[in-house]
Amino acid sequence: MKLRTSNRSIFPSQRMIMKSLRVLLPIVAVGFLLVLPELLHAQAAGQPGRQMRHFWHVFAAYAVAWALLFGWAVAIARRIARVEDRLKG
Amino acid sequence: MSLRTVRWAGVVLGFLGVALTILFHWQVFFWVPTEASMGIVQRIFYIHLPAAWVGFFAFGIVALCSAVYLWLGEEKLDHAARAAAEGGMIFTTIVLTSGPLWARLAWGTWWTWEPRLTLTLLLWFIYLGYFLVRSSTDNLDRGRKFAAVVGVVGALNIPLIHMSVYWFRSLHPQPVVARVDGPQLHPDMATTVFTALGAWTLVFLSLFLFRYAAARLEAYADRVEAARLNPTRSATPEEVMAP
Repeated sequence: MKLRTSNRSIFPSQRMIMKSLRVLLPIVAVGFLLVLPELLHAQAAGQPGRQMRHFWHVFAAYAVAWALLFGWAVAIARRIARVEDRLKG
Repeated sequence: MSLRTVRWAGVVLGFLGVALTILFHWQVFFWVPTEASMGIVQRIFYIHLPAAWVGFFAFGIVALCSAVYLWLGEEKLDHAARAAAEGGMIFTTIVLTSGPLWARLAWGTWWTWEPRLTLTLLLWFIYLGYFLVRSSTDNLDRGRKFAAVVGVVGALNIPLIHMSVYWFRSLHPQPVVARVDGPQLHPDMATTVFTALGAWTLVFLSLFLFRYAAARLEAYADRVEAARLNPTRSATPEEVMAP
């Protein structure tokens, strides 16, 4: 019986995931910039200081959530890359 | 289930999850109406609630796989439980960070020791203990069994968290979606929250499958290395069972 250690990875490679992140992160950043006027407009009835504070709390909540999820995805990709290196070596 | 099947399931669920995630972000920032009394900050709801649900779902998987692992002793079930526990920790951390950011503006305080918040923090610490217990002993099997017990016992906290707003005097609002008489939300808000729930469930399942596959590959690599180091006492590398 032969070991299943072919050169072709069965998982998306770490490089591929990092490349996807490099594309996705600017899209997310531009998205937030586009969203900013909409958010402020929606709060037009409130006071200016309060509007900005609300915006930053929403921004922080979504940023933390996405940082955690991206972090977990990258950690998994690195783990898979490491174990595949072990199997090849 | 073979690793190839796990990979394809992970990739398909991941693509669907990302597509739904883009849709729910569009809904949150461009489509759904702004809540009248709280304003923009209420939009945290669309990540807070789905993260809580997915976290509970993940810890449910941990409890189920751990219980069956204690019964059958199958290594794959421990891999699945550990993968789900990581996801559960991630999503519960999202709940515990988005909640205070919302509470500061809605309640005027970052944190209060009221039942639901306290029990959710307790859940996070129980599953932190799940990882600490696992690595607390040199005996791998014993560590797995201790962790499995924590995984099962910890999930008993989930129904308590859900019922705490009914049983105790609580600052946290009562459920507006998971109600016997149906969601008490504006239809557009309900649509957005269900889209977000679907998106994050798919994202979680995709990452869970990849994490589970990584754990199985690691176990396989360990067996191969053990066989290489000592071919006379155990199987040769060629005889080691594929992951």
